[in-house]
Amino acid sequence: MTIVTQSYPKTSWRRFKASAFRVMTLLALLFVVGPALWLVLGVVVRAVPNWKWSVLTTLSQGTSGGLENAVVGTLVIMVGVLLVAGSVGVLTGIHLAELAPARKNGKAGGGLFRLAVDVLAGFPSIVLGYAGYVALCVALHWGFSLLPAILILSLMVVPYIAKSTESALRQVPTAYREGAEALGMTAGYSLRKVVLKSALPGIVTGLLIALAVAGGETAPLLYTAGATNSLPSWSLVHHPISYLTYYVWTDYNQPSAQAHVVSYDAALILVVLVLTLLVVSRLVVARTQRHSESFR
Amino acid sequence: MDEFRKTDISPDEIKSVLEVLDPDGERPRNVITTSGLNLRFGDQQILSGVNMDFPRGTITALIGPTGSGKSTFLRTLNRMNDKVRGFRHEGDVALEGRSIWSSDQDLLDLRRRVGMLFQRPNPFPMSIKDNVVAGAKAHGIAKGKQLDVVAETRLREVGLWDAVKDRLNDSPYRLSGGQQQLLCLARALAVGPEVLLLDEPTSALDPLSTESVERLLRELTPALTLIVVTHNLGQARRVSDNTMFFYEGKLVEHGATNDLFNQPRETNTARYVNGLMG
Ligand SMILES: Nc1ncnc2c1ncn2[C@@H]1O[C@H](COP(=O)(O)OP(=O)(O)OP(=O)(O)O)[C@@H](O)[C@H]1O
Ligand SMILES: [Mg+2]
Repeated sequence: MTIVTQSYPKTSWRRFKASAFRVMTLLALLFVVGPALWLVLGVVVRAVPNWKWSVLTTLSQGTSGGLENAVVGTLVIMVGVLLVAGSVGVLTGIHLAELAPARKNGKAGGGLFRLAVDVLAGFPSIVLGYAGYVALCVALHWGFSLLPAILILSLMVVPYIAKSTESALRQVPTAYREGAEALGMTAGYSLRKVVLKSALPGIVTGLLIALAVAGGETAPLLYTAGATNSLPSWSLVHHPISYLTYYVWTDYNQPSAQAHVVSYDAALILVVLVLTLLVVSRLVVARTQRHSESFR
Repeated sequence: MDEFRKTDISPDEIKSVLEVLDPDGERPRNVITTSGLNLRFGDQQILSGVNMDFPRGTITALIGPTGSGKSTFLRTLNRMNDKVRGFRHEGDVALEGRSIWSSDQDLLDLRRRVGMLFQRPNPFPMSIKDNVVAGAKAHGIAKGKQLDVVAETRLREVGLWDAVKDRLNDSPYRLSGGQQQLLCLARALAVGPEVLLLDEPTSALDPLSTESVERLLRELTPALTLIVVTHNLGQARRVSDNTMFFYEGKLVEHGATNDLFNQPRETNTARYVNGLMG
Protein backbone atom coordinates (compact mmCIF):
# COMPACT_ATOMS: atom_id res chain seq x y z
CA MET A 1 0.00 0.00 0.00
CA THR A 2 1.33 3.42 -0.93
CA ILE A 3 0.28 6.50 0.87
CA VAL A 4 -0.21 9.34 -1.58
CA THR A 5 0.62 12.32 0.58
CA GLN A 6 0.94 14.77 -2.26
CA SER A 7 -2.75 14.31 -3.14
CA TYR A 8 -3.83 16.06 0.04
CA PRO A 9 -4.93 19.61 -0.69
CA LYS A 10 -2.64 22.32 0.65
CA THR A 11 -3.46 23.62 4.09
CA SER A 12 -3.79 27.18 2.86
CA TRP A 13 -6.35 26.12 0.23
CA ARG A 14 -8.39 24.23 2.84
CA ARG A 15 -8.23 27.25 5.13
CA PHE A 16 -9.42 29.44 2.31
CA LYS A 17 -12.33 27.14 1.56
CA ALA A 18 -13.30 26.97 5.21
CA SER A 19 -13.32 30.73 5.61
CA ALA A 20 -15.10 31.26 2.29
CA PHE A 21 -17.84 28.95 3.54
CA ARG A 22 -18.03 30.89 6.79
CA VAL A 23 -18.38 34.16 4.94
CA MET A 24 -21.16 32.70 2.79
CA THR A 25 -23.15 31.52 5.80
CA LEU A 26 -22.70 34.92 7.42
CA LEU A 27 -23.92 36.67 4.27
CA ALA A 28 -26.97 34.45 4.19
CA LEU A 29 -27.65 35.27 7.80
CA LEU A 30 -27.31 38.98 7.05
CA PHE A 31 -29.82 38.57 4.25
CA VAL A 32 -32.34 37.35 6.82
CA VAL A 33 -31.43 39.43 9.83
CA GLY A 34 -30.91 42.69 7.93
CA PRO A 35 -34.41 43.12 6.50
CA ALA A 36 -35.97 41.82 9.71
CA LEU A 37 -34.17 44.43 11.78
CA TRP A 38 -34.84 47.12 9.20
CA LEU A 39 -38.58 46.33 9.17
CA VAL A 40 -38.93 46.22 12.94
CA LEU A 41 -36.86 49.38 13.41
CA GLY A 42 -38.80 51.15 10.65
CA VAL A 43 -42.07 50.40 12.38
CA VAL A 44 -40.76 51.30 15.82
CA VAL A 45 -39.15 54.57 14.69
CA ARG A 46 -42.31 55.76 12.98
CA ALA A 47 -44.80 54.55 15.56
CA VAL A 48 -43.18 55.29 18.90
CA PRO A 49 -42.88 59.11 18.66
CA ASN A 50 -46.65 59.44 18.17
CA TRP A 51 -47.60 56.54 20.43
CA LYS A 52 -50.48 57.06 22.84
CA TRP A 53 -51.61 54.30 25.14
CA SER A 54 -55.17 55.37 24.53
CA VAL A 55 -55.10 53.57 21.13
CA LEU A 56 -55.53 50.36 23.05
CA THR A 57 -58.63 51.56 24.85
CA THR A 58 -60.41 53.60 22.18
CA LEU A 59 -62.56 52.26 19.39
CA SER A 60 -61.80 53.10 15.83
CA GLN A 61 -63.71 55.85 13.98
CA GLY A 62 -63.00 55.13 10.38
CA THR A 63 -59.50 56.43 9.70
CA SER A 64 -59.04 58.03 13.10
CA GLY A 65 -59.64 57.04 16.71
CA GLY A 66 -58.06 54.02 18.39
CA LEU A 67 -57.54 50.35 17.64
CA GLU A 68 -59.18 48.57 20.56
CA ASN A 69 -61.65 46.75 18.33
CA ALA A 70 -58.88 45.63 15.97
CA VAL A 71 -56.60 44.39 18.76
CA VAL A 72 -59.38 42.38 20.35
CA GLY A 73 -60.50 41.15 16.92
CA THR A 74 -57.02 39.95 15.98
CA LEU A 75 -56.62 38.20 19.34
CA VAL A 76 -59.98 36.47 18.96
CA ILE A 77 -59.11 35.37 15.42
CA MET A 78 -55.71 34.08 16.56
CA VAL A 79 -57.21 32.10 19.42
CA GLY A 80 -59.74 30.65 16.98
CA VAL A 81 -56.99 29.68 14.54
CA LEU A 82 -54.94 28.18 17.38
CA LEU A 83 -57.89 26.00 18.36
CA VAL A 84 -59.05 24.97 14.89
CA ALA A 85 -55.80 24.83 12.91
CA GLY A 86 -53.82 23.70 15.94
CA SER A 87 -55.90 20.64 16.61
CA VAL A 88 -56.47 19.75 12.95
CA GLY A 89 -52.83 20.35 12.03
CA VAL A 90 -51.30 18.46 14.95
CA LEU A 91 -53.67 15.52 14.46
CA THR A 92 -52.88 15.43 10.73
CA GLY A 93 -49.16 15.49 11.53
CA ILE A 94 -49.56 12.65 14.02
CA HIS A 95 -51.45 10.66 11.44
CA LEU A 96 -48.81 11.21 8.76
CA ALA A 97 -45.89 10.36 11.06
CA GLU A 98 -47.28 7.63 13.27
CA LEU A 99 -50.46 6.07 11.98
CA ALA A 100 -50.44 6.05 8.19
CA PRO A 101 -49.35 2.51 7.31
CA ALA A 102 -45.94 2.37 5.67
CA ARG A 103 -45.84 1.42 2.02
CA LYS A 104 -44.54 -1.94 0.83
CA ASN A 105 -41.11 -0.53 -0.01
CA GLY A 106 -40.76 0.80 3.51
CA LYS A 107 -41.33 4.45 2.56
CA ALA A 108 -43.62 6.51 4.74
CA GLY A 109 -47.29 5.99 4.04
CA GLY A 110 -50.15 8.47 3.79
CA GLY A 111 -49.06 9.65 0.34
CA LEU A 112 -52.47 10.99 -0.66
CA PHE A 113 -52.86 12.96 2.54
CA ARG A 114 -49.40 14.41 2.13
CA LEU A 115 -50.21 15.43 -1.44
CA ALA A 116 -53.38 17.12 -0.25
CA VAL A 117 -51.45 18.99 2.42
CA ASP A 118 -48.86 20.13 -0.13
CA VAL A 119 -51.54 21.31 -2.56
CA LEU A 120 -53.17 23.30 0.20
CA ALA A 121 -49.85 24.85 1.19
CA GLY A 122 -49.28 25.95 -2.40
CA PHE A 123 -52.59 27.87 -2.72
CA PRO A 124 -52.29 31.65 -2.85
CA SER A 125 -53.96 33.05 0.24
CA ILE A 126 -56.11 35.43 -1.79
CA VAL A 127 -57.60 32.51 -3.71
CA LEU A 128 -58.44 30.78 -0.43
CA GLY A 129 -59.99 34.02 0.76
CA TYR A 130 -62.13 34.34 -2.34
CA ALA A 131 -63.19 30.70 -2.17
CA GLY A 132 -64.12 31.26 1.46
CA TYR A 133 -66.15 34.32 0.51
CA VAL A 134 -68.07 32.44 -2.15
CA ALA A 135 -68.62 29.23 -0.17
CA LEU A 136 -69.04 30.49 3.40
CA CYS A 137 -70.04 34.15 3.36
CA VAL A 138 -72.36 33.97 0.35
CA ALA A 139 -73.51 30.40 -0.20
CA LEU A 140 -74.00 29.63 3.50
CA HIS A 141 -75.25 33.18 4.18
CA TRP A 142 -72.76 33.67 7.00
CA GLY A 143 -71.81 37.11 5.73
CA PHE A 144 -68.56 38.82 6.74
CA SER A 145 -67.92 37.32 10.16
CA LEU A 146 -65.60 35.53 12.58
CA LEU A 147 -66.24 31.91 11.64
CA PRO A 148 -65.37 32.13 7.93
CA ALA A 149 -62.29 34.17 8.86
CA ILE A 150 -61.08 31.52 11.30
CA LEU A 151 -61.87 28.65 8.95
CA ILE A 152 -60.08 30.17 5.96
CA LEU A 153 -57.03 31.24 7.94
CA SER A 154 -56.91 27.78 9.51
CA LEU A 155 -57.11 26.11 6.13
CA MET A 156 -54.20 28.28 5.12
CA VAL A 157 -51.90 27.40 8.04
CA VAL A 158 -52.87 23.77 8.68
CA PRO A 159 -50.18 22.57 6.21
CA TYR A 160 -47.42 24.33 8.17
CA ILE A 161 -48.59 22.81 11.41
CA ALA A 162 -49.05 19.32 9.95
CA LYS A 163 -45.62 19.40 8.30
CA SER A 164 -43.77 20.63 11.35
CA THR A 165 -45.59 18.17 13.61
CA GLU A 166 -44.77 15.31 11.26
CA SER A 167 -41.09 16.13 11.00
CA ALA A 168 -40.80 16.75 14.75
CA LEU A 169 -42.28 13.30 15.39
CA ARG A 170 -39.98 11.66 12.87
CA GLN A 171 -36.97 13.09 14.67
CA VAL A 172 -37.85 11.43 17.97
CA PRO A 173 -35.09 8.86 18.62
CA THR A 174 -36.03 5.24 17.92
CA ALA A 175 -34.50 4.39 21.29
CA TYR A 176 -37.39 6.15 23.07
CA ARG A 177 -40.00 4.30 21.06
CA GLU A 178 -38.32 0.91 21.48
CA GLY A 179 -37.83 1.55 25.18
CA ALA A 180 -41.51 2.31 25.58
CA GLU A 181 -42.52 -0.64 23.43
CA ALA A 182 -40.30 -3.03 25.39
CA LEU A 183 -41.93 -1.90 28.63
CA GLY A 184 -45.28 -2.98 27.26
CA MET A 185 -46.74 0.48 26.71
CA THR A 186 -49.44 0.69 24.06
CA ALA A 187 -48.60 2.74 20.99
CA GLY A 188 -51.03 5.46 22.08
CA TYR A 189 -49.66 5.62 25.61
CA SER A 190 -46.09 5.85 24.44
CA LEU A 191 -47.09 8.53 21.94
CA ARG A 192 -48.73 10.61 24.65
CA LYS A 193 -46.24 10.12 27.46
CA VAL A 194 -42.91 9.71 25.71
CA VAL A 195 -42.88 10.56 22.02
CA LEU A 196 -44.98 13.75 21.90
CA LYS A 197 -43.05 15.14 24.81
CA SER A 198 -39.79 15.02 22.99
CA ALA A 199 -41.35 16.32 19.76
CA LEU A 200 -42.93 19.28 21.54
CA PRO A 201 -40.40 21.99 20.63
CA GLY A 202 -40.82 21.27 16.92
CA ILE A 203 -44.59 21.17 17.20
CA VAL A 204 -44.77 24.42 19.17
CA THR A 205 -42.46 26.15 16.71
CA GLY A 206 -44.75 25.13 13.86
CA LEU A 207 -47.83 26.35 15.72
CA LEU A 208 -46.11 29.61 16.41
CA ILE A 209 -45.11 30.32 12.84
CA ALA A 210 -48.64 29.43 11.80
CA LEU A 211 -50.13 31.82 14.34
CA ALA A 212 -47.78 34.61 13.37
CA VAL A 213 -48.66 34.11 9.71
CA ALA A 214 -52.35 34.07 10.53
CA GLY A 215 -52.06 37.22 12.64
CA GLY A 216 -50.21 39.05 9.91
CA GLU A 217 -52.39 37.92 7.04
CA THR A 218 -54.62 40.40 5.21
CA ALA A 219 -55.86 39.06 1.91
CA PRO A 220 -58.13 36.20 3.09
CA LEU A 221 -59.55 38.40 5.84
CA LEU A 222 -60.55 41.14 3.41
CA TYR A 223 -62.85 38.58 1.84
CA THR A 224 -64.18 36.95 4.96
CA ALA A 225 -63.97 39.10 8.08
CA GLY A 226 -65.23 42.41 6.77
CA ALA A 227 -64.64 45.57 8.78
CA THR A 228 -66.34 47.27 11.68
CA ASN A 229 -65.69 49.99 14.20
CA SER A 230 -67.16 48.06 17.09
CA LEU A 231 -65.81 45.35 19.34
CA PRO A 232 -66.27 41.70 18.32
CA SER A 233 -69.66 40.37 19.33
CA TRP A 234 -70.08 36.88 20.73
CA SER A 235 -71.62 35.59 17.54
CA LEU A 236 -69.61 33.50 15.12
CA VAL A 237 -71.54 34.53 12.02
CA HIS A 238 -73.41 37.53 10.58
CA HIS A 239 -71.26 40.09 12.44
CA PRO A 240 -68.15 41.54 10.80
CA ILE A 241 -65.01 41.58 12.90
CA SER A 242 -62.08 43.98 12.65
CA TYR A 243 -58.39 43.11 12.71
CA LEU A 244 -55.07 44.95 12.84
CA THR A 245 -53.79 44.32 9.34
CA TYR A 246 -56.92 45.97 7.95
CA TYR A 247 -55.88 49.26 9.55
CA VAL A 248 -52.26 48.81 8.58
CA TRP A 249 -53.35 48.50 5.00
CA THR A 250 -56.29 50.91 4.60
CA ASP A 251 -55.06 53.71 6.81
CA TYR A 252 -51.67 53.75 5.15
CA ASN A 253 -53.41 54.44 1.86
CA GLN A 254 -55.28 57.45 3.29
CA PRO A 255 -54.01 60.94 2.49
CA SER A 256 -54.01 62.04 6.14
CA ALA A 257 -51.23 62.13 8.72
CA GLN A 258 -53.73 61.06 11.37
CA ALA A 259 -54.47 57.87 9.46
CA HIS A 260 -50.78 57.13 8.99
CA VAL A 261 -50.24 57.29 12.74
CA VAL A 262 -52.98 54.70 13.24
CA SER A 263 -51.47 52.54 10.51
CA TYR A 264 -48.05 52.54 12.19
CA ASP A 265 -49.59 51.93 15.58
CA ALA A 266 -51.37 48.86 14.22
CA ALA A 267 -48.11 47.58 12.73
CA LEU A 268 -46.26 48.12 16.00
CA ILE A 269 -48.91 46.27 17.98
CA LEU A 270 -48.69 43.34 15.55
CA VAL A 271 -44.91 43.22 15.84
CA VAL A 272 -45.08 43.28 19.64
CA LEU A 273 -47.79 40.61 19.58
CA VAL A 274 -45.67 38.27 17.46
CA LEU A 275 -42.54 38.86 19.54
CA THR A 276 -44.46 38.18 22.75
CA LEU A 277 -45.76 34.97 21.22
CA LEU A 278 -42.17 33.97 20.42
CA VAL A 279 -40.86 34.64 23.91
CA VAL A 280 -43.75 32.94 25.71
CA SER A 281 -43.49 29.83 23.57
CA ARG A 282 -39.72 29.63 24.14
CA LEU A 283 -40.36 29.75 27.87
CA VAL A 284 -42.99 27.05 27.64
CA VAL A 285 -40.68 24.85 25.59
CA ALA A 286 -37.76 25.39 27.97
CA ARG A 287 -39.97 24.39 30.87
CA THR A 288 -41.18 21.16 29.26
CA GLN A 289 -37.76 20.26 27.88
CA ARG A 290 -35.80 20.50 31.10
CA HIS A 291 -35.45 16.71 31.12
CA SER A 292 -34.53 16.36 27.47
CA GLU A 293 -31.32 14.92 26.14
CA SER A 294 -30.10 18.14 24.54
CA PHE A 295 -30.91 20.26 27.58
CA ARG A 296 -28.41 19.16 30.19
CA MET B 1 -44.24 -47.26 54.78
CA ASP B 2 -47.52 -48.63 56.03
CA GLU B 3 -47.70 -46.05 58.77
CA PHE B 4 -47.16 -43.31 56.30
CA ARG B 5 -50.07 -44.50 54.27
CA LYS B 6 -52.32 -44.49 57.30
CA THR B 7 -52.01 -40.76 57.90
CA ASP B 8 -55.10 -38.97 56.78
CA ILE B 9 -53.65 -35.94 55.04
CA SER B 10 -55.77 -35.02 52.07
CA PRO B 11 -54.14 -34.55 48.69
CA ASP B 12 -55.15 -30.87 48.83
CA GLU B 13 -53.27 -30.35 52.05
CA ILE B 14 -50.18 -31.99 50.63
CA LYS B 15 -50.46 -29.72 47.66
CA SER B 16 -50.67 -26.58 49.76
CA VAL B 17 -47.64 -27.63 51.83
CA LEU B 18 -45.70 -28.31 48.66
CA GLU B 19 -46.79 -24.94 47.33
CA VAL B 20 -45.20 -23.21 50.31
CA LEU B 21 -42.01 -25.25 50.09
CA ASP B 22 -41.66 -24.81 46.38
CA PRO B 23 -43.86 -22.09 44.87
CA ASP B 24 -42.54 -22.88 41.40
CA GLY B 25 -43.35 -26.58 41.67
CA GLU B 26 -46.39 -26.51 39.42
CA ARG B 27 -44.90 -24.27 36.81
CA PRO B 28 -42.80 -25.57 33.95
CA ARG B 29 -39.12 -25.69 34.75
CA ASN B 30 -38.26 -23.90 31.54
CA VAL B 31 -39.57 -20.36 31.38
CA ILE B 32 -38.93 -20.00 27.68
CA THR B 33 -38.66 -22.77 25.12
CA THR B 34 -37.97 -22.29 21.44
CA SER B 35 -38.73 -25.07 19.03
CA GLY B 36 -37.67 -25.25 15.40
CA LEU B 37 -37.34 -21.49 15.29
CA ASN B 38 -36.47 -20.06 11.86
CA LEU B 39 -36.05 -16.32 11.52
CA ARG B 40 -35.90 -14.38 8.27
CA PHE B 41 -35.77 -10.79 7.04
CA GLY B 42 -37.28 -10.85 3.57
CA ASP B 43 -35.44 -13.53 1.62
CA GLN B 44 -32.47 -13.56 3.95
CA GLN B 45 -32.45 -16.45 6.40
CA ILE B 46 -30.98 -15.16 9.66
CA LEU B 47 -31.34 -18.19 11.92
CA SER B 48 -32.67 -21.67 11.38
CA GLY B 49 -33.70 -24.57 13.53
CA VAL B 50 -33.11 -23.12 16.99
CA ASN B 51 -34.28 -25.48 19.74
CA MET B 52 -33.47 -24.18 23.15
CA ASP B 53 -34.73 -24.22 26.74
CA PHE B 54 -34.19 -21.42 29.20
CA PRO B 55 -34.52 -22.87 32.71
CA ARG B 56 -36.08 -20.70 35.41
CA GLY B 57 -33.70 -18.61 37.45
CA THR B 58 -30.65 -19.09 35.22
CA ILE B 59 -28.50 -16.75 33.17
CA THR B 60 -27.92 -17.72 29.57
CA ALA B 61 -25.24 -15.98 27.52
CA LEU B 62 -25.61 -15.58 23.75
CA ILE B 63 -22.25 -15.35 22.02
CA GLY B 64 -21.10 -15.37 18.42
CA PRO B 65 -19.47 -13.16 15.82
CA THR B 66 -21.13 -9.96 14.67
CA GLY B 67 -24.08 -10.50 12.35
CA SER B 68 -24.67 -14.04 13.58
CA GLY B 69 -28.24 -13.22 14.61
CA LYS B 70 -27.93 -12.85 18.39
CA SER B 71 -29.92 -9.62 18.56
CA THR B 72 -32.48 -10.89 16.11
CA PHE B 73 -33.00 -13.99 18.25
CA LEU B 74 -33.22 -11.97 21.45
CA ARG B 75 -35.68 -9.45 20.04
CA THR B 76 -37.88 -12.25 18.80
CA LEU B 77 -38.43 -13.46 22.35
CA ASN B 78 -40.51 -10.42 23.33
CA ARG B 79 -41.82 -9.89 19.80
CA MET B 80 -39.91 -6.67 19.20
CA ASN B 81 -39.23 -7.92 15.68
CA ASP B 82 -42.86 -8.42 14.73
CA LYS B 83 -43.23 -4.90 13.37
CA VAL B 84 -39.86 -4.87 11.61
CA ARG B 85 -40.29 -4.91 7.84
CA GLY B 86 -39.76 -8.27 6.19
CA PHE B 87 -39.53 -10.20 9.46
CA ARG B 88 -40.85 -13.76 9.23
CA HIS B 89 -40.73 -16.56 11.72
CA GLU B 90 -41.43 -20.27 11.63
CA GLY B 91 -41.45 -22.59 14.59
CA ASP B 92 -42.48 -21.39 18.00
CA VAL B 93 -41.44 -19.67 21.20
CA ALA B 94 -43.30 -20.70 24.33
CA LEU B 95 -43.45 -18.67 27.51
CA GLU B 96 -44.33 -21.09 30.33
CA GLY B 97 -45.75 -23.50 27.81
CA ARG B 98 -47.87 -21.02 25.90
CA SER B 99 -46.89 -19.68 22.48
CA ILE B 100 -45.99 -16.00 22.57
CA TRP B 101 -47.84 -15.62 19.27
CA SER B 102 -51.01 -17.37 20.41
CA SER B 103 -54.11 -15.23 20.23
CA ASP B 104 -54.80 -15.41 23.97
CA GLN B 105 -51.31 -14.12 24.78
CA ASP B 106 -51.67 -10.39 25.35
CA LEU B 107 -48.73 -8.59 23.72
CA LEU B 108 -48.49 -5.92 26.38
CA ASP B 109 -48.51 -8.50 29.14
CA LEU B 110 -45.84 -10.49 27.31
CA ARG B 111 -43.65 -7.39 27.26
CA ARG B 112 -44.31 -6.79 30.93
CA ARG B 113 -43.27 -10.34 31.79
CA VAL B 114 -40.32 -10.38 29.39
CA GLY B 115 -38.44 -7.11 29.85
CA MET B 116 -35.55 -5.76 27.82
CA LEU B 117 -32.39 -3.75 28.39
CA PHE B 118 -30.74 -2.19 25.36
CA GLN B 119 -27.12 -1.78 24.33
CA ARG B 120 -27.19 1.99 24.74
CA PRO B 121 -28.88 3.38 27.84
CA ASN B 122 -32.19 4.89 26.70
CA PRO B 123 -33.79 6.84 29.53
CA PHE B 124 -36.94 8.74 28.55
CA PRO B 125 -36.95 12.55 28.45
CA MET B 126 -38.52 12.87 31.89
CA SER B 127 -37.25 13.09 35.47
CA ILE B 128 -35.25 10.27 37.06
CA LYS B 129 -38.18 9.24 39.23
CA ASP B 130 -40.65 9.35 36.34
CA ASN B 131 -38.28 7.14 34.38
CA VAL B 132 -38.24 4.43 37.01
CA VAL B 133 -42.01 4.34 37.34
CA ALA B 134 -42.91 4.93 33.66
CA GLY B 135 -43.72 1.28 32.97
CA ALA B 136 -45.32 0.67 36.34
CA LYS B 137 -47.62 3.63 35.67
CA ALA B 138 -48.48 2.43 32.18
CA HIS B 139 -49.52 -0.98 33.50
CA GLY B 140 -51.42 0.53 36.42
CA ILE B 141 -49.23 -1.41 38.85
CA ALA B 142 -48.92 1.57 41.17
CA LYS B 143 -50.20 5.11 41.45
CA GLY B 144 -49.96 8.22 43.58
CA LYS B 145 -47.82 7.81 46.68
CA GLN B 146 -47.09 4.16 45.82
CA LEU B 147 -44.99 5.40 42.91
CA ASP B 148 -42.49 6.93 45.34
CA VAL B 149 -42.16 3.56 47.04
CA VAL B 150 -41.70 1.77 43.73
CA ALA B 151 -39.05 4.29 42.67
CA GLU B 152 -37.10 3.98 45.90
CA THR B 153 -37.31 0.18 46.03
CA ARG B 154 -36.11 -0.28 42.47
CA LEU B 155 -33.38 2.34 42.71
CA ARG B 156 -32.11 0.66 45.87
CA GLU B 157 -32.28 -2.70 44.13
CA VAL B 158 -29.91 -1.51 41.40
CA GLY B 159 -27.70 0.35 43.88
CA LEU B 160 -28.46 3.78 42.50
CA TRP B 161 -30.51 5.19 45.37
CA ASP B 162 -27.74 6.95 47.26
CA ALA B 163 -26.43 8.57 44.10
CA VAL B 164 -29.78 9.98 42.98
CA LYS B 165 -31.97 10.33 46.08
CA ASP B 166 -31.42 14.11 46.18
CA ARG B 167 -32.05 14.64 42.48
CA LEU B 168 -35.07 12.49 41.70
CA ASN B 169 -36.63 15.35 39.74
CA ASP B 170 -33.47 16.00 37.79
CA SER B 171 -32.86 15.05 34.17
CA PRO B 172 -31.56 11.49 33.70
CA TYR B 173 -29.11 12.65 31.04
CA ARG B 174 -26.90 14.25 33.67
CA LEU B 175 -26.14 10.77 35.05
CA SER B 176 -23.08 8.89 33.85
CA GLY B 177 -23.55 6.25 31.16
CA GLY B 178 -23.31 3.44 33.70
CA GLN B 179 -25.80 5.13 35.99
CA GLN B 180 -28.18 5.64 33.08
CA GLN B 181 -28.00 1.94 32.29
CA LEU B 182 -28.74 1.09 35.94
CA LEU B 183 -31.68 3.51 35.77
CA CYS B 184 -33.00 1.66 32.72
CA LEU B 185 -32.58 -1.60 34.61
CA ALA B 186 -34.56 -0.17 37.53
CA ARG B 187 -37.25 0.91 35.06
CA ALA B 188 -37.40 -2.58 33.58
CA LEU B 189 -37.58 -4.19 37.03
CA ALA B 190 -40.39 -1.89 38.16
CA VAL B 191 -42.99 -3.69 36.04
CA GLY B 192 -42.19 -7.00 37.76
CA PRO B 193 -40.81 -9.05 34.86
CA GLU B 194 -40.02 -12.76 35.01
CA VAL B 195 -37.47 -12.69 32.21
CA LEU B 196 -35.00 -9.98 31.23
CA LEU B 197 -33.45 -9.82 27.78
CA LEU B 198 -30.20 -7.89 27.71
CA ASP B 199 -28.50 -6.94 24.45
CA GLU B 200 -24.84 -6.16 25.18
CA PRO B 201 -25.86 -4.25 28.30
CA THR B 202 -22.34 -3.27 29.29
CA SER B 203 -20.70 -2.60 25.95
CA ALA B 204 -21.01 1.17 26.43
CA LEU B 205 -19.74 1.06 30.02
CA ASP B 206 -16.33 1.27 31.67
CA PRO B 207 -14.89 -1.75 33.53
CA LEU B 208 -16.04 -0.58 36.96
CA SER B 209 -19.65 0.03 35.88
CA THR B 210 -19.52 -3.26 34.00
CA GLU B 211 -18.50 -5.03 37.15
CA SER B 212 -21.36 -3.54 39.15
CA VAL B 213 -23.89 -4.43 36.45
CA GLU B 214 -22.55 -7.99 36.34
CA ARG B 215 -22.80 -8.31 40.12
CA LEU B 216 -26.35 -7.04 39.91
CA LEU B 217 -27.27 -9.57 37.24
CA ARG B 218 -26.07 -12.37 39.52
CA GLU B 219 -28.20 -10.99 42.33
CA LEU B 220 -31.29 -10.89 40.13
CA THR B 221 -31.24 -14.68 39.79
CA PRO B 222 -32.89 -16.96 40.71
CA ALA B 223 -35.86 -14.60 41.05
CA LEU B 224 -35.49 -13.69 37.38
CA THR B 225 -34.38 -15.54 34.30
CA LEU B 226 -31.82 -13.62 32.26
CA ILE B 227 -30.73 -13.93 28.65
CA VAL B 228 -27.67 -11.83 27.83
CA VAL B 229 -26.08 -11.12 24.48
CA THR B 230 -22.41 -10.31 24.92
CA HIS B 231 -19.25 -9.90 22.89
CA ASN B 232 -17.26 -10.06 26.08
CA LEU B 233 -16.31 -13.72 26.50
CA GLY B 234 -15.01 -13.02 30.00
CA GLN B 235 -18.41 -11.68 30.90
CA ALA B 236 -20.15 -14.76 29.52
CA ARG B 237 -17.85 -16.93 31.66
CA ARG B 238 -18.29 -14.81 34.76
CA VAL B 239 -22.06 -14.38 34.83
CA SER B 240 -23.76 -17.11 32.87
CA ASP B 241 -24.87 -20.64 33.76
CA ASN B 242 -25.46 -21.66 30.16
CA THR B 243 -24.05 -20.38 26.90
CA MET B 244 -25.35 -20.50 23.34
CA PHE B 245 -22.93 -20.06 20.45
CA PHE B 246 -24.40 -18.68 17.22
CA TYR B 247 -22.46 -18.88 13.98
CA GLU B 248 -23.46 -18.50 10.34
CA GLY B 249 -27.19 -18.58 10.95
CA LYS B 250 -27.13 -21.60 13.25
CA LEU B 251 -27.13 -22.31 16.93
CA VAL B 252 -23.88 -24.26 16.67
CA GLU B 253 -23.59 -25.36 20.25
CA HIS B 254 -25.11 -24.78 23.63
CA GLY B 255 -24.57 -26.11 27.09
CA ALA B 256 -23.31 -25.33 30.57
CA THR B 257 -20.96 -22.35 30.31
CA ASN B 258 -18.04 -24.19 31.86
CA ASP B 259 -18.33 -27.11 29.48
CA LEU B 260 -18.78 -24.96 26.43
CA PHE B 261 -15.71 -22.89 27.19
CA ASN B 262 -13.50 -25.72 28.45
CA GLN B 263 -14.58 -28.67 26.33
CA PRO B 264 -16.28 -27.30 23.23
CA ARG B 265 -17.64 -30.06 21.01
CA GLU B 266 -17.49 -28.15 17.75
CA THR B 267 -14.32 -26.83 16.15
CA ASN B 268 -15.94 -23.45 15.39
CA THR B 269 -16.91 -23.05 19.02
CA ALA B 270 -13.37 -23.87 20.08
CA ARG B 271 -11.97 -21.37 17.64
CA TYR B 272 -14.38 -18.65 18.77
CA VAL B 273 -13.99 -19.08 22.53
CA ASN B 274 -10.22 -19.18 22.12
CA GLY B 275 -10.25 -15.94 20.20
CA LEU B 276 -9.14 -17.44 16.92
CA MET B 277 -12.17 -16.24 14.97
CA GLY B 278 -13.30 -12.75 14.01
N1 LIG C 1 -34.28 -5.00 10.11
C1 LIG C 1 -33.48 -5.81 9.40
N2 LIG C 1 -33.73 -6.00 8.09
C2 LIG C 1 -32.94 -6.81 7.35
N3 LIG C 1 -31.89 -7.47 7.83
C3 LIG C 1 -31.58 -7.33 9.13
C4 LIG C 1 -32.36 -6.49 9.99
N4 LIG C 1 -31.83 -6.53 11.22
C5 LIG C 1 -30.77 -7.35 11.15
N5 LIG C 1 -30.62 -7.85 9.90
C6 LIG C 1 -29.58 -8.79 9.46
O1 LIG C 1 -29.65 -9.93 10.27
C7 LIG C 1 -28.36 -10.43 10.53
C8 LIG C 1 -28.18 -10.64 12.02
O2 LIG C 1 -28.22 -9.39 12.66
P1 LIG C 1 -28.15 -9.26 14.24
O3 LIG C 1 -28.30 -7.83 14.56
O4 LIG C 1 -29.09 -10.21 14.84
O5 LIG C 1 -26.66 -9.73 14.53
P2 LIG C 1 -25.90 -9.76 15.93
O6 LIG C 1 -25.46 -11.17 16.14
O7 LIG C 1 -26.69 -9.14 16.98
O8 LIG C 1 -24.64 -8.89 15.59
P3 LIG C 1 -23.84 -7.89 16.56
O9 LIG C 1 -23.00 -8.76 17.40
O10 LIG C 1 -23.03 -7.06 15.63
O11 LIG C 1 -24.83 -7.08 17.32
C9 LIG C 1 -27.38 -9.45 9.93
O12 LIG C 1 -26.91 -9.98 8.73
C10 LIG C 1 -28.20 -8.22 9.68
O13 LIG C 1 -27.74 -7.56 8.53
MG1 LIG D 1 -26.55 -7.29 18.12
